Amino acid sequence: MNGAFHGFGVALAFEARKAAASRVMLSITVLFLAGVTAIAVGMLLAAASGQEQVLAKLGPLAELDGWARLVGVVVQVTAAGGLGAFGIALSWMFGREFADGTVSALFALPVSRATIALAKLTVFGIWAAGVAVLLTAAIAVLGFAMGFGATDAAGLGEIARVPVLAALTALIAVPAAWAATIGRGLLPGIGATIVIMVVAQVLAVADFGTWLPIVAPALWAISPGSVPTEALLLVPTVPLVFGALCALSWRRLQLDR
Amino acid sequence: MSGPVARIEARALAREFRGGAGVHGIDLVVAPGEVHAIVGLNGAGKTTLMRLLLGMLRPDAGDVRVDGVDVRKAGPATWRRVGHLVDTPLAYAELDARANLLAAARLHGLGRQEATAAVAAVIAEFDLARYTDVRTSRLSLGNRQRVGLAAALAHDPQVIVLDEPTSALDPAGVILLRESLLRRVEAGAGVLVSSHHLDEVARIADRITVINDGRAIGALDPAGVDLERAFFAAVHADDRARSAA
Repeated sequence: MNGAFHGFGVALAFEARKAAASRVMLSITVLFLAGVTAIAVGMLLAAASGQEQVLAKLGPLAELDGWARLVGVVVQVTAAGGLGAFGIALSWMFGREFADGTVSALFALPVSRATIALAKLTVFGIWAAGVAVLLTAAIAVLGFAMGFGATDAAGLGEIARVPVLAALTALIAVPAAWAATIGRGLLPGIGATIVIMVVAQVLAVADFGTWLPIVAPALWAISPGSVPTEALLLVPTVPLVFGALCALSWRRLQLDR
Repeated sequence: MSGPVARIEARALAREFRGGAGVHGIDLVVAPGEVHAIVGLNGAGKTTLMRLLLGMLRPDAGDVRVDGVDVRKAGPATWRRVGHLVDTPLAYAELDARANLLAAARLHGLGRQEATAAVAAVIAEFDLARYTDVRTSRLSLGNRQRVGLAAALAHDPQVIVLDEPTSALDPAGVILLRESLLRRVEAGAGVLVSSHHLDEVARIADRITVINDGRAIGALDPAGVDLERAFFAAVHADDRARSAA
């Protein structure tokens, strides 16, 4: 059978092993978690000391406190920074095959290239879920360290927004994988990530794009009440469409450049 | 064609790139139990031809059969019988040699236990025991090429396609490869190798086809005494004939 899913388990183990062995994925994970945590600590300490510029930057968040303020800062930073981290990871996973030339070794195998592309996306999804969990754990530790466990016990539920936003952000980064495939390298993927980031942030700040799947997560980060659940449920259409495009592009790939 | 099905059969194969380079109608057969070498200068079209044979490029015209199956319709059953090293080996920098070889064996359709046994055998065959736990990024170019060749051959393919396989190998590596290919040919494999010079592997060929400007312009007698002279005579005669036309 010439099925696209032949050998999916083999491809998944292969891609997982490469991702686990690479310093790139580990570096992205550490830098992202450390970066978000450091920015959150910095913003909260500066706001607590009454720095006006930081309070202005926080906008409506300045009126909140405890878990709500911490989570508000974290999800806004993650909506932009997380997109960068997830987009770079996808650009590397797909683009490195072209940059390193290893793509030629992925032809003429019983495991199809479409299957390998889907295995890459699956590994990305598992890794991104792990990053979301770690980020949530890091923010929980940070919140308790800042004393919110005692001062704002009722607000702890806010923290559930962190993994949701991280997961939604990972989903809208998937076009980077397709761009890295079409452009045959890392840079087109990173370029696509920057475009998504700019479009999402600009439109979200302009309070426009509730029903645009690449904007809804950033908008939800800024103002959760303004984005209906149905709009967030549309976000998985981005990885579905671009994941299918990835599989198709890998299936039809030629070494003609 | 009578007799057993060819390991590789290309008919009127053509793929032209902008500027006129490419492959312009090549017929080629690799029979079971045969080493077929293609020789040509840099840019003659050898790599393009191999890419067409392996489905890395789609032809403008002509067709390719691998073990009797049209490559456009080839599925896992066909591809698990193929081993190749064209351009870059399946040797990921972040993995050690053993992990790369295991991945290659599994991707070529071997089960977990079969793959472990095949990798142990090919590590011995290519004298890679010292490097099994070394990250591929730390290996010399020659040893990386040995890993790539081992990755292409670990699953005992019946159809073997190697593009300039000796380019980075030391003399010991060349001998290992030559013996490895001869063993597989004796077991019925068909081997296609390319070379831009008449190296040790081209010299074990049963057939040598000269490629020039994307065409097969003739054959050399592997038993001939002065292959270099015959090769250059063929290439220069073809160049003169084309520039006169």
